[in-house]
Amino acid sequence: MSEAVFVELLSLSSGIVLLTAVLVLWRRELAMVIRVFAVQGVALAGLVAVLAVRESSAELGIVAAGVLILRAGLLPYLLGRALTAAGPQRRETRPLVNVAASLLAAAGLTLLALAVSAPLVALAPSPATAAIPVGMAVVLIGFFVLVTRRRALSQLIGFLLMDNGITTVGFLTTAGIGLVVELGVSLDILLAVLVLGVLTGWMQTAFGNTDLDELRELHD
Amino acid sequence: MNLVAAGLVGAVVVAVAAATAALLVPRPARSAVVGVGTVLCGASGMAAGIVALTGPGWSAAVAGLLPLTGVVLSVDALSGVFLSVIGAVGIAVGIYGIGYARHGLDGRGVQAMEPLFVAAMLLVPAAGGVGTFLVCWELMALTSLLLVLAEHTRRVEVASAARWYAVMTHLGFVAILIGLVVLAGHADNDSFPALRVAAAGLSPATAGLVFTLTLVGFASKAGILPLHAWLPRAHPEAPSHVSALMSAAMVTLGVYGIVRVGFDLLGGGSRWWWLLVLALGAVSAVYGILQAAIGTDLKRLLAYSTTENMGLVLIGVGAGGLFAAAGNMLLAGLALTAALLHVVNHAAFKTLLFLAAGSVLHATGSRDLDDLGGLRPRMPVTTAAFGLGALAGSALPLGPAFVSEWLLLQALVHGLAAGGMATAIMMPIAVATVALTAGLAVATFVKAFGVGFLARPRSEHAAAARESPPSMLAGMGVAAAVCVVLAVAPVLVLPVIGAASGRVFGVADPVLSGLLAVRLQGFTGSLSPLLVAAAVVFATVVFAVAARLIAARHRARVAARLWDCGAGPLSARMEYTATSFAEPLQRVFDNVLRPEHDVDITHYRESRYLVDAVSYRLRVPDRVEHRLYRPVLSAVRAWGRAGPRLANGSVHLYLGYGFAVVCGALLLLVVTR
Repeated sequence: MSEAVFVELLSLSSGIVLLTAVLVLWRRELAMVIRVFAVQGVALAGLVAVLAVRESSAELGIVAAGVLILRAGLLPYLLGRALTAAGPQRRETRPLVNVAASLLAAAGLTLLALAVSAPLVALAPSPATAAIPVGMAVVLIGFFVLVTRRRALSQLIGFLLMDNGITTVGFLTTAGIGLVVELGVSLDILLAVLVLGVLTGWMQTAFGNTDLDELRELHD
Repeated sequence: MNLVAAGLVGAVVVAVAAATAALLVPRPARSAVVGVGTVLCGASGMAAGIVALTGPGWSAAVAGLLPLTGVVLSVDALSGVFLSVIGAVGIAVGIYGIGYARHGLDGRGVQAMEPLFVAAMLLVPAAGGVGTFLVCWELMALTSLLLVLAEHTRRVEVASAARWYAVMTHLGFVAILIGLVVLAGHADNDSFPALRVAAAGLSPATAGLVFTLTLVGFASKAGILPLHAWLPRAHPEAPSHVSALMSAAMVTLGVYGIVRVGFDLLGGGSRWWWLLVLALGAVSAVYGILQAAIGTDLKRLLAYSTTENMGLVLIGVGAGGLFAAAGNMLLAGLALTAALLHVVNHAAFKTLLFLAAGSVLHATGSRDLDDLGGLRPRMPVTTAAFGLGALAGSALPLGPAFVSEWLLLQALVHGLAAGGMATAIMMPIAVATVALTAGLAVATFVKAFGVGFLARPRSEHAAAARESPPSMLAGMGVAAAVCVVLAVAPVLVLPVIGAASGRVFGVADPVLSGLLAVRLQGFTGSLSPLLVAAAVVFATVVFAVAARLIAARHRARVAARLWDCGAGPLSARMEYTATSFAEPLQRVFDNVLRPEHDVDITHYRESRYLVDAVSYRLRVPDRVEHRLYRPVLSAVRAWGRAGPRLANGSVHLYLGYGFAVVCGALLLLVVTR
């Protein structure tokens, strides 16, 4: 793979990762959001695969396949199941911050990520590290989703966005997180999603909806 | 192993053994075993102190006994003074406690704490490193706190008093901790010699910070204004022998801390440090004795008197620091000698007074002077003990405090020319303060003794009082004997105390004391306590004999009724009470004390011109506390109420906090880089 093609592919995949993160903020239909999240998983897997080809590392290749299966297949599937369990309300109707403001905030967060990761990029300038701000931005946007969206499922997606961002930064900064580490992190994510999926179902049966602010009643 | 080490180790071993025994021995024998253990512990510590005072110092390090720093012990003459004081108080209190504890204080926990408290106090002046010092200090605070709590099942006020004490002693501990850690941060290790080396290279600002922080902590332990609030609460609510231990021994360790850190570790420092110490001491002395003079609770009165006496001691310490900063080491030594001698004397008479007050409380169940009276025929020994203590505490001849306050005044008077403008202004004020304090102290103790013990009983329980058991009387006897010895023959302690304080400033003993006279080194001034005592006793005897002779020459005595304005026989209700005795004083100091009057007049329903009942209530709140602590406490309370508003249960809000903090931190990173 020539240098130019590598840079093009890297830019494309990281660009898609960032774009899908912003799209999650934009769309209100939860089914659509899950689909966007799956696309992000594909893009992330693509990013890892590009890196694997570049470094001709079989291990990274396996990781890329794993990321694809988990983040583009298994997690969206589980989220979809949780969505059906969550009852008839399939829209994020009243986010705490409206969509237009959310998009502006996403722009601000991206700028912040760019500014913060400048020293990281300066440590070892290369096409791969130049994409670090994308990972940081996705982490911050994921956190933002967590703070401003009401549905339990949106929270779950925010959490997964953060994890996607962290994984992106991880792959871009190091010459590859070990297979074992990645496997462990993936299992954690899977477990968290399963638990939160079950929780969503319970909330639906207990309160009739999955608005997290209903939980306010539980505090002492 | 030298004698100091043997004494200290002995004290700790005996204390631990006594505490263990307290847990195992059955109730009837428990207080006797613990009392004997406390006496042995105190005696052992006192022996170590005396050896350290007369001989060379001792130091040792045991690595591994405490994590990181190990235990470092070092005893010099200055520590020796405090070791002896604590040990001696421990002896008197140990004997007294045997009888006093039968009064429902012989539970396992309380009894086990008593010897441990004495041992912990003994270890504080023996500590030779920051880590060791802080551990011993905290051990002392915790054991005393548990002892203050001893009677919490009987009175509700105990819990509140203990809370005040716990909070203030721990805030003080935090201040000391920060101060000493800042100092130790500049040194190679945390032992005192290393700190001395490090202090020489410290910037004035850092040294000032260290001193101010430690001063806050030590002053709060010594009951100095405005950090005295715990003292008039905890002392009355603690069992009386514990009050004696706290007031006579523990409180003085605050003075030890100031002297040790200010003079020894930091090597003197700037003039403003000592002006601050002197000013705090002066304010505490006057305010403490004023509150004592108008107080009606016997033990609360004694607690305020402790604030006053520690104030006097700090006047001496501050004056010593001022003179040392001006380069007059001999005068500095004199001032510190006066301060340390006053520590010793205060320990003697305050032990006696608290033990006597405990005896009264034991017999009558009341601490309110307005309810007492008429105890002299019923409790002759306790009355004599309290009378002696009152004489000792009011700084009159025949009392030990007379000698130390005389020395203090000498130092202050001679110090007028010692250094710049600040000293010239401060010294006359300090002299006036000491004089005013002495006068008010006389009024206070005349009130406490006269109203509390003489005349007729003003309540049933005072009328039914009985003398305390022999062990309590013996404990008071020991303290009384020490008082008399210190008053008549200060020569027994003055040379070693003078040498110890001279060594702090690198000069010889500033006081030349002989059996007959105490003379000042380098100044004119001498006093002969023995001759003064002899003269007073002689004059009294002559007067009494002369009065008898004159009376005998005339015809036989005629018994007649006192003139009572024809209103019938005088009753106990016509006596002076503590409140009425203090009323003129309270009027004079009206602006300072701001008493609260409450007059309630109810009229007859039939006519508004006829009065049915008048109720009058007078309260003298602690004004410093009112002004200073109220705002702080209400701010804390408001802060506490704001807490639930921050945490309203919304998950989004909690996540939002996290998000805001992360973004804020990142922004800060971007902006500051």
